[in-house]
Amino acid sequence: MKTHHFLPLALAALFALTFTACVNGKKKTGGGGGVEGDFVTGTPLPERQEGVSFLGSNVDRSKFRPVYFSFDSVALDGGERGKIDEVADFLKSGANTLIIAGFTDERGTPEYNRGLGERRAQAVREALISAGADASKIQTVSFGAEMPAASGGGESAWAKNRRAEFGVVR
Amino acid sequence: MKKLHAFSLLAISIFAGPPLLRGADTPTITISKSDKLAVAIGNLGGADGAQAAKILQNDLAMSGYFNLVPAASAGFVIGGTSGGASLAGSVTDRAGKTVLSQTFSGTARGKVHAFADEIVETLTGSKGFANTKVAFVASRSGHKEIYVADADGSGVQQLTNDANISVGPRLSPDGRTLVYTGYKSGYADVYEIELGSGARSRIIKFPGTNTGASYSPDGRQLAVILSKDGNPELYTTSAGGGGARRLTRTTGVESTPTWSPDGGELIYSSDDRGTPQLYRIPSGGGTGRLVGTGHSYNTEPNWSPDGKKIAFTVRSGGGFSVAILDLAGGGARIVASGEGPAWGADSRHLIFADGGALILLDAQTGQKTTVVSGFGKISEPTWSR
Repeated sequence: MKTHHFLPLALAALFALTFTACVNGKKKTGGGGGVEGDFVTGTPLPERQEGVSFLGSNVDRSKFRPVYFSFDSVALDGGERGKIDEVADFLKSGANTLIIAGFTDERGTPEYNRGLGERRAQAVREALISAGADASKIQTVSFGAEMPAASGGGESAWAKNRRAEFGVVR
Repeated sequence: MKKLHAFSLLAISIFAGPPLLRGADTPTITISKSDKLAVAIGNLGGADGAQAAKILQNDLAMSGYFNLVPAASAGFVIGGTSGGASLAGSVTDRAGKTVLSQTFSGTARGKVHAFADEIVETLTGSKGFANTKVAFVASRSGHKEIYVADADGSGVQQLTNDANISVGPRLSPDGRTLVYTGYKSGYADVYEIELGSGARSRIIKFPGTNTGASYSPDGRQLAVILSKDGNPELYTTSAGGGGARRLTRTTGVESTPTWSPDGGELIYSSDDRGTPQLYRIPSGGGTGRLVGTGHSYNTEPNWSPDGKKIAFTVRSGGGFSVAILDLAGGGARIVASGEGPAWGADSRHLIFADGGALILLDAQTGQKTTVVSGFGKISEPTWSR
């Protein structure tokens, strides 16, 4: 009886662990930020396309659902995986390029939020690359706490604002 | 309550720097009211003499070094003639001896600010901050735009008008140029504005997010956060944005770098170990070493011009506080609620944002003055030196 309850939980935990370890890796190194140590921390971004940006009229921002994050976290929750797979399949099957925009809630300082939003966008980008999408097709941008999806304070608004949105270049 | 205090003291002593260094330097000098110099503004004549006297009085009071008293009881009497673009100023001591006599030129306010700083320097040996600029982000227009003003909060001028997102301004130490993060292209790029001419150019536009640019003390380099290599990392570039050189290699978020006065080191925030902590790294490359503060969320460090301390933002509960950490040891102390502190040229005053106010704090006496308000929400202030 006990094992029946425990097994799916253990599997889910194992999946979550593997998943966050792959795409996140945060808090693992603790290297203190120096250049010593030859570990790669991300996949370099491709050159920008001229005249194309996340806010441009040639970008479809509503084709895919946003990926949501926990407070102060860049880890991809297991429940968000399906959204990422959808986008990965789309990228693999066509010639479109993608801009991922990262956002935060309002509870950090502005410059840290810009970094955190970028880190979220890059975490989603790494997950797409892991799922087989072409890295050279994916740009990122962070708006930090600007352009909230929901206004006002409180966890219900904040939860909607901690997100990465997908902009498909038409 | 007592227990809480004891605990925070303990926490501070644990997280403070090397204990060997403690006590090597006197961290603060307390100036009581009687320690202030008694000065009088005597005869300040000329076409705009009366206006100049008012500006000067405010500048001298803001410096924290003076009591303005009637001439009869003053140790020093200030006089001069002000008109057009010049102000001929003088200071005489009680014996009638002239200790300062100099002509200043500039705008109606600028020439007075320059005189005020010269008075501070002559009589106290410290650098004044009256003739410096502050800049900040304000939301009054419905968009975040960059504004600039004199350090006393007068002459507020809107620098950007993009109806977009313009944030993260940093003045050059000489106050002549300003860099900021702008979203005009739809991406976060670093722009530079020449304050004299208003000329603007986009100087850093790598793929990803380019932000957090901050001038070195000699104005010849920038520290900046770039994500082009797949993660936000700390870099240095030339003042023009060229020659990007990567300093960190982490899986976390680096942000808000600040330079040591000699330009040899940077302190920045990184959440590589979980929550944002402060690290110190040689600006030419090396290893980032933790600067313990005893707080779990530390961002927006700003190194004082005398090199002895940093001010930074901590998050506690639902709000932000301004903290000061003596780099020689002694632990961080919270000095006000607010965010984004920046030291003035005197290493004594701070400006910071608190909701809709830009506040000047005398870190020695704790006296607070609102220098700008009425521009919507204010954030990310910067101060020239």
